[in-house]
Amino acid sequence: MYERPGSRGFFTWRRRQLLLAFLFVVPALINFTVFRYIPILASIRASLYQYSLLGGYGDFIGLDHYARMLHDPTFWTSLRVTTLFVIYKVPIQIVLSLALAVFLQRETIGAGIVRSAILTPMVTSIIVVSILWAMMYHSQQGLIQSMLNAVGIPRQAFLSDARRALPAVTVMMIWKDLGFSMIILLAGLKAIPQTYYEAALVDGANAWEAFRRVTIPLLMPVLMFVIVTQAIFSFQVFVPVYQMTKGGPQDSTKVLVYYIYQQGFRFQDMGYASALSVVALVILIVVSYLLMRWLQPQT
Amino acid sequence: MAVVEQQSNIPAYVATRPQSEALLALRRTALLVLRVVLYTILTLIFLVPFIWMIFGSVRDEKEIFQYLYPFSWHTFFPVHWTLEHYMDILGISDAGKRFGLNFGRNLLNSAIVSTGVVICSLLFNTMGAYFFARLNFPKKNWLLAFVLVTLFVPLEVTMVPLYIVVRALHLQNSYWAMIVPWFASPFVIFALIQYFRDIPYELDEAALLDGASYFRILRTIIVPLAIPGLVTMALLEFQFIWNLFYWPLIAVQDNNLQVLQVAISSQTTQQQTFWGRTFAGSALASVPVIIIFLALQRYYIRGVASTGIKG
Repeated sequence: MYERPGSRGFFTWRRRQLLLAFLFVVPALINFTVFRYIPILASIRASLYQYSLLGGYGDFIGLDHYARMLHDPTFWTSLRVTTLFVIYKVPIQIVLSLALAVFLQRETIGAGIVRSAILTPMVTSIIVVSILWAMMYHSQQGLIQSMLNAVGIPRQAFLSDARRALPAVTVMMIWKDLGFSMIILLAGLKAIPQTYYEAALVDGANAWEAFRRVTIPLLMPVLMFVIVTQAIFSFQVFVPVYQMTKGGPQDSTKVLVYYIYQQGFRFQDMGYASALSVVALVILIVVSYLLMRWLQPQT
Repeated sequence: MAVVEQQSNIPAYVATRPQSEALLALRRTALLVLRVVLYTILTLIFLVPFIWMIFGSVRDEKEIFQYLYPFSWHTFFPVHWTLEHYMDILGISDAGKRFGLNFGRNLLNSAIVSTGVVICSLLFNTMGAYFFARLNFPKKNWLLAFVLVTLFVPLEVTMVPLYIVVRALHLQNSYWAMIVPWFASPFVIFALIQYFRDIPYELDEAALLDGASYFRILRTIIVPLAIPGLVTMALLEFQFIWNLFYWPLIAVQDNNLQVLQVAISSQTTQQQTFWGRTFAGSALASVPVIIIFLALQRYYIRGVASTGIKG
């Protein structure tokens, strides 16, 4: 390596420049190492031990936590509930947000106001939304009861009914997340060149055909992005369950992340909670890989 | 993203149909009415809970239930206005003091944590993005991959693992626990790299020839030219951290350090829930943020649309 006159020993000019450059990225690298990568390794380690918050690390127990999971009915219930939530929520949300994006894409004041309204739940914290909706769903004093009453429908139990609690939470989460998927789809719609529609028009296509043959295929990469990210976000639902139902009634809303929280912080079993986290992480990686594979060829 | 001329295509299809003038006008009016009705319904669906919350926070507690049936104007709109609930939750009134409520303190905590994270994030992510966008370094792509892989580390699923690490560092139950894990963000770095790449490199070169240091180039050339991008990122980061619930819930036990989002939640889980106070607390935690975002909506939408970040 060539040296500039005046540079001393190890710190050649070039090395000094590299070091200076590296300093710019060091804080971020440290952050990601300590708070993104190490937690995953730490949880893999913790999952192999008896580990509680109060007692600290206990005996090494190998894969016992993972074996316990196989025979833990609540774990399987939580997996089923989480899957149901994702299956209910994502398709409905995507269809609704696509319809709204198409309906509201015009640049008029009216459409702008509606877009802002749809955006409002999205920027509101999930805990405030959960608190408000729990009050709206309240079986006696809820606003929804009052509205149902006005159209002649008798009082309904929502969150305290094992069959309705999960759909009720799902409706709320669709309401909350609709703005997010709509914004991204709106950006995707804007990126489609207008000439494609004109060409379709010349070929005699009507609005629906143009939508099916121009909009959908060209929007596919964006749609795929929204579907995959929403599936991943929805799989990790926690706050509404924590605030509105505590997993009940009869475990009908006990989603996986809530079960992890319960094991770790309510039952103080960090070892088992870590094992559950590792499994959840693996499921997420596999599912998002499969989703991307499944949606890719159609683009 | 290509910027295309914004024009709606649907009326064009309608207009191409051979139809009489009168029928066309009728159809146009009908469509307009339908549109306005749909707009109103949609707006109401998304705003009613907030309207209920805001009016509920400034009326007597018993009024909230008194006018529930039948459904009417006063189901929402207060008869008797009062700021009592806000006095209670801020611990100003006697009733509030008796319950040990002090949301002012929690509000301050939220402000401290959010400000801390936004400042750290702007500083360290800007430096990181500058490194990736501009500086030469061997195997830089490997470092970028190291950063971008963390985009795919799911947040909620890794909360317990994160807690294990934060506890091992003895940071739990402090402001540090709520700030330090978020001082850099792969989303923000990724987005800022795109913004920085739009700035002509000739400016850097000229400054380098003049003997300016990297830091000086970043401060005097890059940052001033990337202000819109930085504002967008600060906004997204602020929303993310202000609305965070699960992490402060587990990381901090001391109520004096706790953020507003967790404080209002624990208020609702006591034996008796006061609806007026809950409304007031929810309004306190959400209305300021909603106003900021509606005012700066353009930045916000662009940020979300370009990076797909969710708060």
